[in-house]
Amino acid sequence: MENEKFEPKIVAFVCNWCTYTGADLAGTSRLKQQTNARLIRVPCTGRIDPVFIIKAFEKGADGVLVSGCHPNDCHYNTGNFHARRRWIFFRQLLDFVGIDSSRLYFSWVSASEGKKWVDVVDGVINSVREKGPFNGYKKLNKEIEIPVK
Amino acid sequence: MNTYVLSKDHLKNLALELINTGYKVISPSKDGRRFVAISSADDLVINSNLKPSSVSMKEFFFPKTETLFFYKRNKDEYDLIDAAEVNQPQIIFGAKPCDTSAIPIVSKVFNWDYKDEFFNKKVENTIIVGLACKFADENCFCTSVGLSPVSEKGSDLFMIPLTENTYACKVISEKGKKFVSNHSKIFTETIDGKSININEIKIPEKRFESKEVKAWLDKNFNHKLWDKLGENCLGCAQCAFVCPTCHCFDIVDEECNHTCGRRAKNWDACQFEIFTKHASGHNPRNEQDKRYRQRISHKFKYYTEKFDEILCTGCGRCTRGCPVLTDIGIILEDINQLAKESISNN
Amino acid sequence: MKQLIDISKELFESKQVGYIIGYAEDKFKRVKPFVAYSSLDTERFVFNNNSVNNLAVYLTRLPKAKEGKIGIVAKGCDIKSIIALIQENQIKRDDVIIIGVNCNSVVNQIDEQFSKENTAIKCKYCQVRTPAHYDYLVGEIKEVELPEDKNFAIMQKLDSMSAEEKWNFWEAEFEKCVKCYACRQVCPLCYCEQCIVDKSMPRWIDSSATTKGNFAWNMIRAFHLSGRCIGCNECERACPAEIPLSLLNRKMGMVAINEFNYRHGTDINQPTLIGNYNVNDKEDFIM
Ligand code: SF4
Ligand code: SF4
Ligand code: SF4
Ligand code: SF4
Ligand code: SF4
Ligand code: FES
Repeated sequence: MENEKFEPKIVAFVCNWCTYTGADLAGTSRLKQQTNARLIRVPCTGRIDPVFIIKAFEKGADGVLVSGCHPNDCHYNTGNFHARRRWIFFRQLLDFVGIDSSRLYFSWVSASEGKKWVDVVDGVINSVREKGPFNGYKKLNKEIEIPVK
Repeated sequence: MNTYVLSKDHLKNLALELINTGYKVISPSKDGRRFVAISSADDLVINSNLKPSSVSMKEFFFPKTETLFFYKRNKDEYDLIDAAEVNQPQIIFGAKPCDTSAIPIVSKVFNWDYKDEFFNKKVENTIIVGLACKFADENCFCTSVGLSPVSEKGSDLFMIPLTENTYACKVISEKGKKFVSNHSKIFTETIDGKSININEIKIPEKRFESKEVKAWLDKNFNHKLWDKLGENCLGCAQCAFVCPTCHCFDIVDEECNHTCGRRAKNWDACQFEIFTKHASGHNPRNEQDKRYRQRISHKFKYYTEKFDEILCTGCGRCTRGCPVLTDIGIILEDINQLAKESISNN
Repeated sequence: MKQLIDISKELFESKQVGYIIGYAEDKFKRVKPFVAYSSLDTERFVFNNNSVNNLAVYLTRLPKAKEGKIGIVAKGCDIKSIIALIQENQIKRDDVIIIGVNCNSVVNQIDEQFSKENTAIKCKYCQVRTPAHYDYLVGEIKEVELPEDKNFAIMQKLDSMSAEEKWNFWEAEFEKCVKCYACRQVCPLCYCEQCIVDKSMPRWIDSSATTKGNFAWNMIRAFHLSGRCIGCNECERACPAEIPLSLLNRKMGMVAINEFNYRHGTDINQPTLIGNYNVNDKEDFIM
């Protein structure tokens, strides 16, 4: 295992109206990007309950990306403003309990920013690759995994 | 059976030997909050004057969460995989009579229509070394539930302080006897069990008659006392979680990933609103007074009827920890008082 | 005490209240919550250094009074949670009559004598020993000795630790959690009709008391109380596993103060922090 090259697992929560469409645009424009991120489409960043982010880490994510519409562009007008305020708390909470909040990334990517999406995703993947795996939950999961004989 | 003399040094050596031979050695934690498996003989806490730990030792027989089996997807079927068998022998030191007696009491429900192999295995693998208790505060009432600070119920070996540094160690069960003969290097000096002076141990006064309490419960399913109690209680179930005899559990399936998972048995409690909530939304115990009535009735009426045991050892943990000081001892005294009044009224 | 009883009696006699939530002593002279339904009941009311409970929790737990308002005896810190409940639209100001008490600190460990050492840490920083908001005010302020803030050093130590060290610290603490949810039940601000941890379809937080499930529960509860916790410390007091929950709440409270200069439960008319937003909120962490 030690020698195997570490490939990070990234979960990205993206809003339907901007970032998901932006990522789609990156695809249709055939922009090259790394494939470590699994996208989960949600209606709006306002819908991203921090418990989703915890779940992602529990399930083995080494990094999480959250992305939505630019301020004032939210399809539901204020979803991203509400979300932003929550993130200010949530990041510091993660840091306090020992989940390095620099493993949690945020971005605003609009429907037309296919290029920005690629830069963000590649940037996140590279940065998590550098940090190495997040081991906190890997240890705790042992408690509920089928023991290897 | 024999009675031996053990010094603190003997006990330390014994603990050390047991740790080295693969035993899980369990002792009250240094902060007095719970029982813990120790890895160094220096962490062994044996003290008759200690307050009962905040959380009881039941987790070593009935863990707060325990895997029953694992499942794994195999094409269109599921394979079931047994949970790792627990064969590690364990020994518990420093348990008070209100701790040790809980084991035979709850054994009855775990061996009633179904034999709970998980519980039984652990009991079988455990040597319980009881310790006479010199604590007794206003929350204790072991003597009202048929026990006392020197009850040997549930112990395999039972220790009584002789001097500051020595204990008499009585052999109680066959299991205890076997254990002693396997560690004959430690158990050498014997004394006559009858010569031990237990007068020094203060026996708290009986606070209520459990029979009278039961008789009152038989007739007062509806009573304004319950309303009053339900009003104060916040339904936090701290009382059930710290209690040595509360044994309700919930069965859940928990995925590990999309192809496998486990079925687990988790502590649960009748003080929770959702404990009795039906899928339809109907809840027969929809208010806290009904839930608190269940707590008392289960312990002092239903369990007694079914198993001829009171489901309470009088340890007082539930009272000490209750955020709103619901005092089960006072409640039982009050019920006893009501029972007396109703007898004299008739 | 006489003042408190007189006012309570008056409230019953003038039919202003249906019941009053206060404190009374049990037969061992220990102080516990007590609901008075009549002027006679109020004679049992007491208030002293052992009046630790935050009675505001009962405002969302007990049924509405059949007639009249709900009276409540409250310390300055408890009144913060009453104000918080009003700010969060859980109760109406008009539905409660607040009998504020001048408070001379409360105990930390209820089973030990009150003393400087055995004083709740929250009392050290208390700005509302004379409540800032009330309908009636009773009691007298005395000189008190302030306790040592033992948690401050722990907070500082935690702040200087690496992520891994912090994780290990909390792993050892959360391992002890038995998932009784006493922390939630005593909290005046955990009034959700269905708590997220009781939701089973889907199940977001494992119901098992595994360390993993305990992490999720304690993190989410701390998060739900972010910018809302008023620091009564009832959760930590109720926790049978004695997990230092106040550290989490305190940290989140500091975020509210440092980032937003906001203190929940201080002004009935102030919009809540977490239910609102400002277009200029900081976003230096967003790409
Ligand atoms: S500990 Fe106290 S408040 Fe909590 S459920 Fe038990 S009796 Fe009620
Ligand atoms: S009900 Fe209370 S006193 Fe009785 S055994 Fe349980 S914790 Fe101890
Ligand atoms: S933990 Fe969260 S969801 Fe649960 S009662 Fe408290 S605020 Fe509500
Ligand atoms: S989280 Fe704890 S300290 Fe904060 S308001 Fe709730 S009970 Fe009080
Ligand atoms: S009160 Fe303590 S033990 Fe109970 S759920 Fe809360 S943190 Fe866990
Ligand atoms: S719809 Fe994109 S953030 Fe609200």
